[in-house]
Amino acid sequence: MNLRECYEAMGADFDAVLFRLRSEGLIKKFVLKFVDDPSYSQLEQTMQAEDYKEAFRAAHTIKGVAQNMGFDGLSQSSSDLTECLRPAGEDKAVDIAEADRLWTQVQADYARTISAIKAMNE
Amino acid sequence: MRQTETDDKIQEKQAILIVDDSEMNRAILTDMLQEDYRTLEAENGVQAVELIRKYSDAIDLVLLDITMPEMDGFEVLAIMNKYHLIDNIPVIMISAERASSYMERAYELGVTDYISRPFDALIVRRRVENTLMLYAKQKRLVGLVADQVYEKERNNSMMVNILSHIVEFRNGESGLHVLHINTMTEILLQHLVEKTDKYPLTQEDIIRISTASALHDIGKISIPDEIINKSGRLTKEEFEIMKTHSAVGASMLSAITAYQNESFMKTAYEICRWHHERYDGKGYPDGLKGDEIPISAQIVSLADVYDALTSERCYKKAFSHETAINMIMNGECGAFNPLLLDCLLEVAGDIQRELAVNSPEREFQVHETVEQILKHKKLHGYGYSINQMRIEQAKKEFFFEHERTLVFDYSELTNVILFSNWGRRLLGLKKNQLDLRKESSLLQDQNTLEQIRAELAKTTPENPSIDLKIEIHAFGEMKEHRLVARTLWSDGEEALRVGVIGRAEEVFQLDERR
Repeated sequence: MNLRECYEAMGADFDAVLFRLRSEGLIKKFVLKFVDDPSYSQLEQTMQAEDYKEAFRAAHTIKGVAQNMGFDGLSQSSSDLTECLRPAGEDKAVDIAEADRLWTQVQADYARTISAIKAMNE
Repeated sequence: MRQTETDDKIQEKQAILIVDDSEMNRAILTDMLQEDYRTLEAENGVQAVELIRKYSDAIDLVLLDITMPEMDGFEVLAIMNKYHLIDNIPVIMISAERASSYMERAYELGVTDYISRPFDALIVRRRVENTLMLYAKQKRLVGLVADQVYEKERNNSMMVNILSHIVEFRNGESGLHVLHINTMTEILLQHLVEKTDKYPLTQEDIIRISTASALHDIGKISIPDEIINKSGRLTKEEFEIMKTHSAVGASMLSAITAYQNESFMKTAYEICRWHHERYDGKGYPDGLKGDEIPISAQIVSLADVYDALTSERCYKKAFSHETAINMIMNGECGAFNPLLLDCLLEVAGDIQRELAVNSPEREFQVHETVEQILKHKKLHGYGYSINQMRIEQAKKEFFFEHERTLVFDYSELTNVILFSNWGRRLLGLKKNQLDLRKESSLLQDQNTLEQIRAELAKTTPENPSIDLKIEIHAFGEMKEHRLVARTLWSDGEEALRVGVIGRAEEVFQLDERR
């Protein structure tokens, strides 16, 4: 599987990413790097610990990375989760049921993204 | 950078500080930029501020994320504003926040540009390049103006100094007299304008008067050697001849027709002619009274008397600083403007200190003049040139490494305190640098710390020093130390405390030395 097919497998628009980042080499390098990026596990830990303030920050970070890398699915779901958790960043109450629902979506998108990357790497 | 081809001076790549909590995001930016720039990375605001403080002028641009742990991007901007760092280091914000309120706030806090995520590699590179070009141009212009002003001022004061030294040497004096009067004139004038707006003098006026003060005695070259260098008392006739030096000096200046409209010439004329006038009208050569005597001449006259009293001359021994001040205050050495006498009393300590080190060459004035020209506003204190800052940094590092005293440098910006090697060992710390936000408990003497804090709270930019006895755990034993420290303040109209430097010595050491 090549890089384009990898993006197709995760349901993302490879041409848009290539247009922005301009270098296939750079994209590939960072796509592979994403597998080891710690921000997902940070989100996982903070969501499990119900520490929504920190979870907001972690979701925000994933959103930033996913947007940069053009992981469209993960980008959208992590963005939704970030907005849902935003009140926690300002020490306000969070809609926990909604956050859990969005978190499940993020987990699914993350799994899909990672498996596409791994498939490319094989 | 494209610029390197056209500008030979810039050989090193410019440095960009990338601040983002995600390692991946930092790496992507680094990847995009590393071909053309050097990059530094910080993963939160605290690290960013610390790097900016450490490298200041070596950082050419900051790429700043908003949402970060420890300290977010807006807080970094607030600090950069508070300490005017943003005036010299451009910031481009990169954020996934698309809300216009975020952008608005970022621009209000002085960012040059705002790039939304997901970003486009070309746009990032272009905006970085444009911003750097703009700032480089501005920096070069400032540098150019500074060099010119500096060169001009330096040549001027060199000429004036050469000339006045010739006069001094003929009088059998060391040449220090000229330097002392220059220093004193400036200290008195600076204090006078802080104290009252009765005499509307700009910083340029003060520099001009201080420089021209060196010429006050040029008329003495017309006085015969036997009178100038006579060790005994002058006869009445001889004294009358001596007294002609002020009018002669002035007429020498007015004989130079070329520069009659220059303000420097006018100031020099005033000083030469009237520095022996008295406030009560009993001086010479014109018997001017009160503020008929130009303020320049009044000040130089006072400085002249003080330095004559405290120096040894062929006809007298040197008086102590205190005696000289008392004699002047008691009216034993002439009549002066009461306002100036108040000034003298208030800055007597400064004068004594400054003259003791004999280092009156105030090159920083030039820098300040430049800043004024560029900013059109009044500034306090002296601007340091970038080069000067690096030299000072090297000096500091040297002392911190080798001095066998507890020396410390505390930054209010970052809450980080740096101890000398000796201080670290004495306090039993693992490292020289301590982040007080996290590690204040590592300092054993919390009560002492509170005591010091209370003393520091009383300091002001005018009175920045503290001097107190404290008990500290030195090498595990409670010992009495004398702590001498001073607070550091920012420039500008509202001075802010930016740090504290100081040293502590065991009390017995001091007694032994005496």
